Order: sequence, then structure tokens, then C-alpha cells
Amino acid sequence: MRALCWNGINDLRVETVGDPGIVNPRDAILKVTMSTTCGSDLHFIDGYIPTMREGDVIGHEFMGEIVDVGRDVKKVSKGDRVVVPSFICCGSCWYCQHDLYSLCDNTNPKAELQEPVFGYPTAGIYGYTHAFGGYAGAHAQYVRVPHADTDCFQVPEGVKDEQALFLSDAAPTGYMGADFCGIQPGQTVAVWGCGGVGLMAMKSAFLLGAERVIGIDRFPERLTLAREKVGAETLNYAEVDSVLDLLKELTGGRGPDACIDAVGMEAHGTGVEYAYDRAKQALHLHSDRGEALRQAILACRKGGTLSILGVYGVMDKFPIGAIMNKGLTVRTAQQHGQKYLPRLLEHVAKGELDPSFLATHRFPLEDAPRGYELFKKKQDGCVRAVFLPN
Amino acid sequence: MAEKPQEPSTPRPQSTTEAEPSPGPSSDWEWHGVEAAGWKVAGDLRVRQVASAVVGGALVSMGLKRRSLGGMAMALAGGELISRGTRGRSLIDGIPNLRRRRLTGRAGREEGVVTGGMVMERSVTIQKPGHELYRAWRDVETLSKVVAHFAEVTSVGQDIRHWKMQGPLGKTFEWDSHLVEEHPGELLRWESLKGAPLPGAGEVRFRPAPGDWGTVVTLRLLFNPPGGALGEALLKLFGEAPTALAHKALMRFKSLVETGEIATTERNPAAREGGFSSF
Repeated sequence: MRALCWNGINDLRVETVGDPGIVNPRDAILKVTMSTTCGSDLHFIDGYIPTMREGDVIGHEFMGEIVDVGRDVKKVSKGDRVVVPSFICCGSCWYCQHDLYSLCDNTNPKAELQEPVFGYPTAGIYGYTHAFGGYAGAHAQYVRVPHADTDCFQVPEGVKDEQALFLSDAAPTGYMGADFCGIQPGQTVAVWGCGGVGLMAMKSAFLLGAERVIGIDRFPERLTLAREKVGAETLNYAEVDSVLDLLKELTGGRGPDACIDAVGMEAHGTGVEYAYDRAKQALHLHSDRGEALRQAILACRKGGTLSILGVYGVMDKFPIGAIMNKGLTVRTAQQHGQKYLPRLLEHVAKGELDPSFLATHRFPLEDAPRGYELFKKKQDGCVRAVFLPN
Repeated sequence: MAEKPQEPSTPRPQSTTEAEPSPGPSSDWEWHGVEAAGWKVAGDLRVRQVASAVVGGALVSMGLKRRSLGGMAMALAGGELISRGTRGRSLIDGIPNLRRRRLTGRAGREEGVVTGGMVMERSVTIQKPGHELYRAWRDVETLSKVVAHFAEVTSVGQDIRHWKMQGPLGKTFEWDSHLVEEHPGELLRWESLKGAPLPGAGEVRFRPAPGDWGTVVTLRLLFNPPGGALGEALLKLFGEAPTALAHKALMRFKSLVETGEIATTERNPAAREGGFSSF
């Protein structure tokens, strides 16, 4: 089959690889209808996180049709149109039983690569680094989905492919981030980053009862989406002297009740700290540029909630004192998609959520490298590039 | 001789294993060190090629510096937990001729306190009742799947298991073990039979975990190498591998009994090695 493969830093190619087959009894094989780019892919494309291998098939946000199932698959069957969360979860371990799916104990076959760094290994992911299992990804004609009964969610009629696609990662990640905030009526939520996850976090904050949602970014077209598709107020940090001052004024001097970081380790910024981060990262002295996260910590009101969705590794100059002294609650996780999928499908079916506006560009799989280029450089107003592998 | 079931939740003494001083957070995870060469080391490995290569190769491929191997990874892979596990407890009492030796990579070896046997212990918590886990561990089919990443195990008689393992330097090790003690639902203990290249014993213990966590499964392995140069060489060759392999075996056991399968990237589509690559 054809698949998009990582071949080194900034070297993606569509190549011919073997067709996946049923290996374990709970497996299903999906014929991929649609897959999409995710900002977290950029971290290994740009070489900021280790344990990729030349020839790895990438991609973890996808939906498709089941074409084969293993002997222990009971709930889904051939022909089902399904969406699959990006984390692979067994459904049986303590963590899955407690809705903490991305912490699954049983799906990372290369746990020994991750354990020294995190202390305990997390679940595996499709098409990501080998520390996260090294499973072949979904920018391919077919993909093997382990634990199909737990991880495949049937898409009801009336929900379009492109709506279902983003329920694989962007929407559940954003929804979880908003859920972490414990939003009370009348509250204000500020979201750093108006990419796919950030926009979904904003929309979810409204669904969960926020009165005001403020989106922060520097790309005018993304800020426009935040206003027009989500109904958020927006703030272009490149055009203001102080994001903190502005957020303070917008919230009567209190600060946002909750702040969501939907940016992660390759944050862009404007000040001295950005230059510092950039230099340290360039010299390989640390992995993360933390401008957005630091800003979110400082901006958050006393006793507020900081919800971290951006992907991080190791960071210094981390203002833990601001968190401690202001009594912030920090909530963070990789997405527990299996927990949120049923209610997200319901929101879409009822017309309360339509993530398909994230799909600004469509490409056949053969043009996927071009899609990533547009996505990475945010050219032509690209929010998400969607691939059609078949 | 089963000890009273006890959750290992009491504060343990700090490990005496000193991590090397780290100049800063970045040395713990050298993100940019993904070197093609490092990966090739891991890529060429056969799964059954035991031992330090598995652990070492994997860590090298993560781009960890040598420095952090000693400081962090090795501590995790072996030394720290073992020294914690052995401290203040009569781990090896009752097993004659087995003297205590910390398995802590360089530190352990260079300390030169004793060179005798070595002990390792690892625990995992599983969402199943103890009696079910006990039955599964006793079943040779389950056991053979669980240790398939480093050994072949077959049943060769009443409670006798034959082990075959690809050791370092392409050498094959074979031995038999037999069951010497069992307490249904709680404990299984075995010992190698005469003629084993690396005489040893092992036990697996099943104790209730707190709350809804299920059962704590603790695997303890004891190796008592023959004296002289051969024994020393064997220990050196095996190095830290037994701990890592045993830990992996426990994780595989957990996956198998909790989900009915073991996570794998076998037949994983990739643009290398003819279209598939498991690693």
C-alpha cells in the first residue's frame, strides 16, 4: 500500500510499504477514508522529539471503514464506518476502567523506551515515535487498529466523514481541555493557540457553559475562525504590548478563570524569553519553547485552573512559583478520547458541534508532503490538511 | 514460608545508588540525539538477543547520553529498585550459599563488596484476582508467551520446565527448573536443576492490592553463578539484562491476562526491511 513515511528531519515521502494484517485477536484493519495533520506531528518532523526511525508511517488522526476483524472483536464488524481516537487503549486495565485512556497500561510495546523519561509508560499512539509504541500510522491506505471494540466508534448516519475525522483527536483533546476547567456559569476561559485543538477547546468551553471565551494567536485567519466559527473574542498577541494587561482589563482586573494552553513546545513569542528559549532549543540545551505556557500561568486568576493540552518534554524557566503562590489547579493529559467520543458524536449529530471547518485543505495521499508543508508554515490559511488515501 | 501479605507501600529507605550529578534538565532527555547510528543498533537486534543490548541499545537509540545511562536509566532498569527491594528484608535468607550483591551496573560491580549471587525483584499490579493469576502463571502456555521475548519454555514432565535462551555472544543457554513450593493463589517457587549454566531460583507472589487495583504480582529471581572465572564472566555478560527482561515479562503477563493479548508491532508496515518492521 501507499503511506506517508518519515525519513529524517523535514523529510516526508509517500512510499510503498507492506499491507497491515490482523496480528492480535482484538485487531481490526481499517481502510482509511480520511486522515489529517496534527501539530504534535511537527515536533518529530522538526526533530525535537526522539525515537523516530527512517521509514516510519506517520499519522494519528483518522477515520475509515473496517475491512477485517480479529476473532475476538465483537462490537464492530466489517463495513462499519468508524472514527478512532489517536491513543490505543485496551479497555481492561485500571486506567481504562477509570476513563484515563491515554494512560493505558497495555498498549505500549516499547514501554522501556519511555519509562526512563516519564517514570511510567503511557498508552501507544498510531504513527508517532517509538517511545509511544512505534505503531504504523494512518496516513496510509490501511491501518491496523488494536483493541477494535474499545477504540472504534461507529459514525452514525448524518454525521459526515469530515466531521467524524476530527473526533479522532482535535475535538476530544479540546473538549477534555475545557472539561478540565470545571467551568461554572459566568466564567471566562482564555485559550492560547487557535489551531485545530485550540478552536475545539474554545467551542467546547462554550458547550460546557463558559460565558466568555478568548482566543489568542497571531495568525489573522485563525483568529477570524475563532470569531466566526466559534463565537470567541480574539486577541492577536503580536499586535499588543502586553497580553497580560489586556486579559486583565478584559476580565475586570481578575484574570481569566481558566487558561488553556493549546500550543506546546514549539511556541512562538515576541519577547526576551522567546529569544532565550529559541537559542537554548537551537543549541539542543532543552527541548521546549514555553512562551505560551508561561503566559497562561501568569494570566490565570488566583485560584484558577490551568489546562495544558500542548505537548511538552523538558522545560526550564518554568514559573512554578506563580502556580504555587496563586493556588492554581493544573490539569493536563494526552487525550482520553474514548471517554469523550460518545458525547462528541452526540453533539455533532444534534448540530451543536461541527468541526469540519478545520479542514481548510484537501489532498490525495500522494501530495501529503505538500500538505504538511502548508500546515507547518501555516501558508494559505491552512489550519488542517486532510488526506484522502483511497 | 510465605510472608504475611503486605502491600509494599511503606516508605522505603532512599536508594544508596547515587545518580551522577546532572548539569541540568536537558541531560535527562537529550531530544536532539536521535542518531541514525543509534537506531541502527536497535534495528539490527533480534528480539531474542538478550541482554544489555536490549536495554542499552534502546536507550542509545533514544539518544540518551552515556552519562545518563548510569544516572537515570540504569538506576531504573535495575539498581535502585533492587537495592530498595532487598534492604531490611530477608530476601535471600534460607537460600544457602547465596550472598547478597547489588545489581547496579557499574556502581554495583565496582563496589566489590561481594561477588556471589544476585537478586532482582520487580512488581506489577494487575486487575485480576490472585487465584486467576496463579493459574495463568502455572500454565506453561501462558508462561511461554510471557517470556517469548527472551526464552523458549516448554514442559518436560511433572512441574519441570525446560528453558532455552539465546545469550550474549550468540551462545545458547539451556536448563531445567522444577517447582519446589506452591501455595495456590499466593506463591510459586522454583529452582534450577543440576547442570544449569547459571544456577538460580525464582518465585512469584500474588498479594491483594489496595482498593480496586487488583493483585500485586512480585517476581523475584536469584542467580547463583558457579565460582571462578566462568561465573564472573557469565554475570558480566548478563549484566543488567535479567531485571529488564523480567520486568518486561511481568508487563507482558499483565497484558496477556488483562486483555488476552500482548501489544506488538509485529508486521508493522514501514518503508524499510522489505515493507515491514517490528522495531
